[in-house]
Amino acid sequence: MKSTSQSVPTATSDTLEAGARLSFGRRIGLWLENEAVLGYVLMVPALLLIVVFIAYPFSLGVWMSLTDKLVGTPGKFVGLANFAKLLRSEIFYQAAWNTVVFTIAATVIKGVFGMWLAILLNRKFRLARFTRATVLLPFIVPTVLSGLAWLWMFDATFSVFNWTLKWMWQMEISVFGMALKENWGYFRGPLWLGSPALAMFSIILVNAWRGLPFFAITLLAGLQTVPPELYDAGDIDGTNEFQKFWHITLPLIKPIAVVVTVFSFVVTFSDFQVVYILTRGGPHNSTHLLATLAYQLGMTSGNLGEGAAAALFMFPILGLVILWQLFYLRREGSD
Amino acid sequence: MAHEAAQQRGETAPGRMRRRDFLAHTGKAGAAWAAVAGTNWLTGQAPAFAQERTLHVLEWSSFVAPADVERDRQAAEFGKQAGVKVTIEHINANDLPARATAAIEGSTGPDILQLLSNYPLLYSEGLDDHNDLITELGGDEIYQFIREAVRDEKGVHRGVPNFFGGGANVYRKDIFEEVGIPGPPDTWDEYLEAGKKLKHFGMPVGQSLGHTFGDAPGFAYTLLWCFGGKEVDEDGRVALNSKETANAVDFLKEFWSAACDEGGLAWDDTSNNRAFLAETIACTLNGASIYFVARNDPRKVAPGFADRLGHFLIPKGPNGRYHGVGPFTNCITRYSSNKEAARDYIRFVHQDDNFEKFLLVNKGYINGPLPKWQEHPMWEEDPAVTIYRELPKYGRNLGYAGPYNRHSSEAFAKYIIVDLFAKAVRGDSTQSVIASAEKELKNIYEG
Amino acid sequence: MQAYVGETLLKRLIVFYIPLFLFVAAMLFPFYWMFITSIKPDFELYNVRRSPFIVSQATLEHWFYLFKETMFARWAWNTFWIATASTAISLFAGVLAGYSLSRLRFPGSATFGISIFITYLVPPTLLFIPLASVIANLRLLDSPWALILTYPTILVPFSAWLLMGYFKTIPRELEECARIDGATRLQAMTKIVLPLSMPGILSAGIFSFTLSWNEFLYALVFISSPQQKTIPVGVVSELMKGDVFFWGSLMAGALLGSIPVAFVYSFFVENYVSGMTGAVKG
Repeated sequence: MKSTSQSVPTATSDTLEAGARLSFGRRIGLWLENEAVLGYVLMVPALLLIVVFIAYPFSLGVWMSLTDKLVGTPGKFVGLANFAKLLRSEIFYQAAWNTVVFTIAATVIKGVFGMWLAILLNRKFRLARFTRATVLLPFIVPTVLSGLAWLWMFDATFSVFNWTLKWMWQMEISVFGMALKENWGYFRGPLWLGSPALAMFSIILVNAWRGLPFFAITLLAGLQTVPPELYDAGDIDGTNEFQKFWHITLPLIKPIAVVVTVFSFVVTFSDFQVVYILTRGGPHNSTHLLATLAYQLGMTSGNLGEGAAAALFMFPILGLVILWQLFYLRREGSD
Repeated sequence: MAHEAAQQRGETAPGRMRRRDFLAHTGKAGAAWAAVAGTNWLTGQAPAFAQERTLHVLEWSSFVAPADVERDRQAAEFGKQAGVKVTIEHINANDLPARATAAIEGSTGPDILQLLSNYPLLYSEGLDDHNDLITELGGDEIYQFIREAVRDEKGVHRGVPNFFGGGANVYRKDIFEEVGIPGPPDTWDEYLEAGKKLKHFGMPVGQSLGHTFGDAPGFAYTLLWCFGGKEVDEDGRVALNSKETANAVDFLKEFWSAACDEGGLAWDDTSNNRAFLAETIACTLNGASIYFVARNDPRKVAPGFADRLGHFLIPKGPNGRYHGVGPFTNCITRYSSNKEAARDYIRFVHQDDNFEKFLLVNKGYINGPLPKWQEHPMWEEDPAVTIYRELPKYGRNLGYAGPYNRHSSEAFAKYIIVDLFAKAVRGDSTQSVIASAEKELKNIYEG
Repeated sequence: MQAYVGETLLKRLIVFYIPLFLFVAAMLFPFYWMFITSIKPDFELYNVRRSPFIVSQATLEHWFYLFKETMFARWAWNTFWIATASTAISLFAGVLAGYSLSRLRFPGSATFGISIFITYLVPPTLLFIPLASVIANLRLLDSPWALILTYPTILVPFSAWLLMGYFKTIPRELEECARIDGATRLQAMTKIVLPLSMPGILSAGIFSFTLSWNEFLYALVFISSPQQKTIPVGVVSELMKGDVFFWGSLMAGALLGSIPVAFVYSFFVENYVSGMTGAVKG
């Protein structure tokens, strides 16, 4: 901010000499004519929000994680005890590992299928506009509300999927084979949220279902910037669809693809809602993510210090993403 | 039919009290409470603030819907008498702890938090001292296991247990008969045999082992105790790793695959209610709410369904029979600006006549905080629920056998004991699940 | 757009119509399920022996329950007003910051740009515990302002980024012409650049509105009284209760909570795409 105070008098003094006495408003107006001053002034609202509601709470969170703060107490400094305690807990390792698996799987699924959907939507067809609006639905409705629909569809007793499987079995078009037939009496179908692997699959599925349209629509925006002439040139050379995609489309939409992937990575990595609604971390913590673990530690078992520490464990990985993206942006910028 | 028969039995059986006798018997205490409570709002400076005073009470949403209705009615009645605007908010019990944390941290929110089981200890720093109120409303007469659940290390009661609920096994008499089970099982081994038949028939035992507040811990902790296992010893040292615990885990492994609906790993507290009413399971550990709905909500079940239901206690294990009985405790928050009205409200709901109405509307789903409520003729009216009044005999609190403190609530909030069993039934070795649960418990109890 | 001349119908079916149909079906099935669940009477809903796809006695009781027994209308209003206000704040801050960072040269602008960018990588789940005590200290707990002021922290970085890209697509010459004609910098911004950037601003606005409408964690932690809740929190905390949950009403609430944003999008989806396209080009 020092540079502002230095630049202000020099920039405005010339104009001040020209017009004798200026009203306060006029002076402010002239002041704002200075590029640097205006630049800083326009940054103020955003910076204010960021300092008060992000930077300050973040440092407060770091402080909290170094105290033994329990709900209702101020807490006293305990150094890295909370982090040490977490590192002794298998639940924490499980949550950290789950978060990694969840994020990578969901982001890859969203990226691949989102790209595919974007390519489909980029064609000319009747109802194109309507279709674009409908596929966007999962992204725009509140996640907890669509999560409830999934919870009901995955219900151990009333799952529509399992009902359908059972019906298919009864129709003797079974795909399961004899092993299940013997146990049919109490066959309930797959335990979508009850067995560790399937529960992980289910939360990934729901997260991907929700995030896919955002990928698709944003990549669609990227695809529309690709000039069609480029493909015509490709046609003459006799390249196939995949080669065209790989050599022409992908390099051109890379910048937007990177941004949307990073954005999605961050949102997925810190996801809370899907697990909160579907499993609350169960069965036996096999779907706990760092975010839900932080919530459980901080909010439902009252260990605010430990909860803050668990949340902060997200930061190293997010920090790497930040560094990578900064590096990437800088490189792109210098091109 | 069964209902009438029960009433007749109740009237003719010697030594059993009728409702009127009961009230006469306990009336004195009730009148005394009413008088104490009355002075607080009829005298003093209170009227000056009468118009502005509000009281916000956060409660769970009962599985017996009319209980919430009765609560709201009593609150309105109290509000009218005391000149206080009372708001009762009913939410999912799984969300109570998070709301309590937010309220206490922010020093704003409900004046009275209803907390389950030993949660008042977890929040003791944010809750008022209730020692006088406890003395006034029964003192040592209050069941020990629920009083200890709210008394912290300093000897301060952080709330007043209003009632407690516990589970018994609700079962389908007709299905038991059909598959040839002679009667309700008395031991876990008998239960295993019965369960095998039920599962073979296609309507297994349904049991939650998910991350939820009531049924899952209610089952997991009691099973542990029945086999002689315990979280901590009398001195509060972690004592989970024992032969007894291993026996309990081994037993459940067999029980789960041979007798249970595997879906239970994903169940919350409502899932077994739905599954039982949808007739996909024949037996489940639950409060009397399934029976209540079957008896009173004809839209949800087939006609005559309630007559096919019975209840039995948690079976005996090598170490005897235990029931997890979690108190529902009204806790006045420290930040509340309306503590006097809050205390009056608690006195009001504990008044004999009011509590009796509440007890009656629950029809066996809840038990009173004082042993005298077990004598109430209500328990005789419907033989199907009579068994629930036996629960206090076997009552233990979470964190048994240690001194009750916030660590036991933390272990409860982290589902350590539930997950011990949940992991085992998914195939992990007994030794490894016990070792990892022990590690987590040590983290909690010993820092 | 690509032209697909000479594609046979069969090929088109396989590479286009069938995959697209499957995508649309997968995206929409949960909504169909919400709807069908919301109109089933309880005895059909909780009966495993009936086909769940068929409703024999459709009922609106679950929908009525929402309005009679819960404060759903109130939650909808809260959500709408919180989303609108926080969108306005984030657009204001985002437009100014985006303009400043993309158009004005001043020392440290790169650092500011990066710091705004970094903040969008600090998710709510990392912040909610300490933020709760900040909100408590500001005496904002249980007030809509707790959300109106905190949502922009999630929204501003993305809006600013999107608008930076968009502003860059507008030729500098236009602004310079205006300034030669005597317009101040602020006037050039508000009269020349902003009107031309409306598609980008609209995109950022739609995006912000959606995120605020959907936000759950802050609303769950900062808001407690029933009359202050937003739709997601209200539906979850007031209908996921009782002995079997109110599944019919839950689904009705989920649908109703989705309709307003879906409505907004059906009008603006093309605009959203073109706004993003503009941002991407720049």
